[in-house]
Amino acid sequence: MIPGVVELVSIGLVVSACLAIFIDEAIYSVAALAATFVLTSALYALSGAVYVAIFQFAVGIGTLSILFLSGEMLSEKPLNKTKPIKSIGVAVLGAILSIPAIFFSISAPSMVSSTTSLGDALWNYSAVDVVLQGLVILTVAIGIAIVLHENKKKSKKRSGQQ
Amino acid sequence: MDFVLLSLVMLAIGIYGLLTKRRLLKVFISIELIATAATLNFIMLGANNLGISQAFMILAFSTDTAVSAVILALLVIVSKKYGTSDISEIVRTEVEVEEESEARQ
Repeated sequence: MIPGVVELVSIGLVVSACLAIFIDEAIYSVAALAATFVLTSALYALSGAVYVAIFQFAVGIGTLSILFLSGEMLSEKPLNKTKPIKSIGVAVLGAILSIPAIFFSISAPSMVSSTTSLGDALWNYSAVDVVLQGLVILTVAIGIAIVLHENKKKSKKRSGQQ
Repeated sequence: MDFVLLSLVMLAIGIYGLLTKRRLLKVFISIELIATAATLNFIMLGANNLGISQAFMILAFSTDTAVSAVILALLVIVSKKYGTSDISEIVRTEVEVEEESEARQ
């Protein structure tokens, strides 16, 4: 691996997180969040956690596509556009914030190690968790569908009364 | 390179956004950043047990996505109902409605 890549990705991660919070325009903010997800995924891949990297990438893209779709609904147009100088300032702030993580260390390396494969850990040790997780997600999906359907019914009634 | 510090910085950015930003979209983004910070911490601390840590993180991702979907649905409903995504305005509208109903009684 090329030295310095992890550090560069970490700086990009903090900078994009700062931009996602501080930029006023919704679309640019969501784009910065997309960069955060992609860089997190890259960081996982560089650390050897390839499966989690792929999962993070897929989940991140799903969340972001929905955010892009509903972004217009959730945001009003800001009165003032973000000035380029502010964006540059936020990026510099993010780069400064990432310095401690690159040059200092507070955590001791773990001495415990195991060679359990992901398949073993997922299907032999926590198979019940996986099945229960599926049930939880199904329940959540049905709940969201019901809530949105009820809301649609109410808004139809209101428009009918008017 | 210390990933615990990196995740602490990410957590701090997320909490700052959660406390200071008034728009629902920003609140959602802050929650996502906090979740990302937590996941990053777990993955990097479990680097020696990659199989187990990845298995748990895949389960955590699923829950996180489900939570995000619920939050997003609620945000869409709230912003549709009040016609704004500003928390202060939503609270103000709610207080005004309450005051009106008290005055009628």
